[in-house]
Amino acid sequence: MIRWFADLDRLLRGEATRPDALRRGTIEVSVPGLLFVSIVLAAVYGVCMGSYALFREGGPSGTQLVASAVKVPALFYLTLVVTFPSLYVSNALVGSRLGPIALLRLVVAAIAVMVAVLASLGPIVAFFSVMTTSYRFVLLLNVVVCAVSGGLGLRFLLNTLQRLSMAELHTGGPVEVEPIDESAAGRPAPSAIEPVKGQVMTRPVRLIFRCWVFLFGVVGAQMAWVLRPFVGDPNQPFTWFRPRQSNFFEAVWHSLLNLFG
Amino acid sequence: MRAWLLRAEEVLRGELWTTRPGALAPLVALAVFCATAYGAMMGTFGGLTGERAFQVLGSALKVPLLLVVTALLSLPSFFVVNTLVGLRDDFREVLRALAASQAGLAIVLLSLAPVTLLWYASSGDYRQAILFNGLIFATASGGAQVVLQRAYARLIARDRKHRGLLRLWLGLYVFVGTEMAWVLRPFIGNPDQPVELFRADSLGNAYVEVGRMIWEQVAR
Repeated sequence: MIRWFADLDRLLRGEATRPDALRRGTIEVSVPGLLFVSIVLAAVYGVCMGSYALFREGGPSGTQLVASAVKVPALFYLTLVVTFPSLYVSNALVGSRLGPIALLRLVVAAIAVMVAVLASLGPIVAFFSVMTTSYRFVLLLNVVVCAVSGGLGLRFLLNTLQRLSMAELHTGGPVEVEPIDESAAGRPAPSAIEPVKGQVMTRPVRLIFRCWVFLFGVVGAQMAWVLRPFVGDPNQPFTWFRPRQSNFFEAVWHSLLNLFG
Repeated sequence: MRAWLLRAEEVLRGELWTTRPGALAPLVALAVFCATAYGAMMGTFGGLTGERAFQVLGSALKVPLLLVVTALLSLPSFFVVNTLVGLRDDFREVLRALAASQAGLAIVLLSLAPVTLLWYASSGDYRQAILFNGLIFATASGGAQVVLQRAYARLIARDRKHRGLLRLWLGLYVFVGTEMAWVLRPFIGNPDQPVELFRADSLGNAYVEVGRMIWEQVAR
């Protein structure tokens, strides 16, 4: 089990995704291990999120805590299930050599990075959840925290994809070499979320990958909406799921408007 | 005693040992000690006798708690982000820089404690006492900034990414610290009210409360 956490650590440090470590066209990490680690960390964040329900006005709800701890890991992996087929198809369409297993590894690694950031922000979320009575504030704080970790995870995904396509280049093929990124110059080992100097992806490939990231983000947000409640409105009794209505973006906008109302 | 005074001075001057391995424990000890001492003096506003002694004790515990717990809550995410941008190897030094700044904050606070006591002796107005303490904390934060910037200068010279991370740390710390200070109220203790360790309405949210106050002014 310690080895699995060490795998995650190598991902975060960028060791597992160093350009020379990707020569074989895949990330050398154990997928079951990362699955386990990311589920544990997501559940930890779920507990932090659900702790609002434990201390809210009008009686604690331990079930909400359990529900959140189950739902957060489910959120990530259901998003994976929904997006993976289209990711794989578009990936094959643009002529990338990544096989389904390599691709799955990549996405699981990105989820692990996301969840690691999420769990590290857990203490702050738990602190605010326990100390605050404002439901909307906790809701928005959670949205911000998830957006931050999602953003970092997707940056990891994009940059690792770039590195993987660079690794592929050793087998040849036409490339369009872009100017060297100034900020990355002079550093032999780029970090996990930095672009490697000298972008070598063709424009359509980059566009497709950007679309991917966008799709993943939007599906994730809406998946969170479908799985709600995560925090638990103190004015409503506990339910596992809420009725189908509205969408994520509309709801965040409303929460923002009513924060001080 | 003399050794500790010397150490405190060296923290303010940014001596080299504060950035070397093994500096963390003395820095944290200094921060906790000075914060406790200032807290005790901060709580003397309502007097020392009878149940007012509890306020002194409470404040003496709360000020170091504010510093330490805020840092502990902010550290995990700061650690992960440092790792992600590739600065893990510097993290021990980062940790010492942060501890040095906390120690700096507490030392400046303690050095201003006599001024606070003089203020307490000259004015019995509770609101003014709060404002004055706000001023003292702001001054001490300025001192901590000096220590932090100096310690970080070395890191930034090594890798420019540290500059952005320093801003991230300040943002995180202020975000959590503001709420922490709100939760831990009262630090001074209103002399017209019975002593209470925590406010009955302490489970509020600083940002929502302040935002609501502003909103009410704007919307009126």
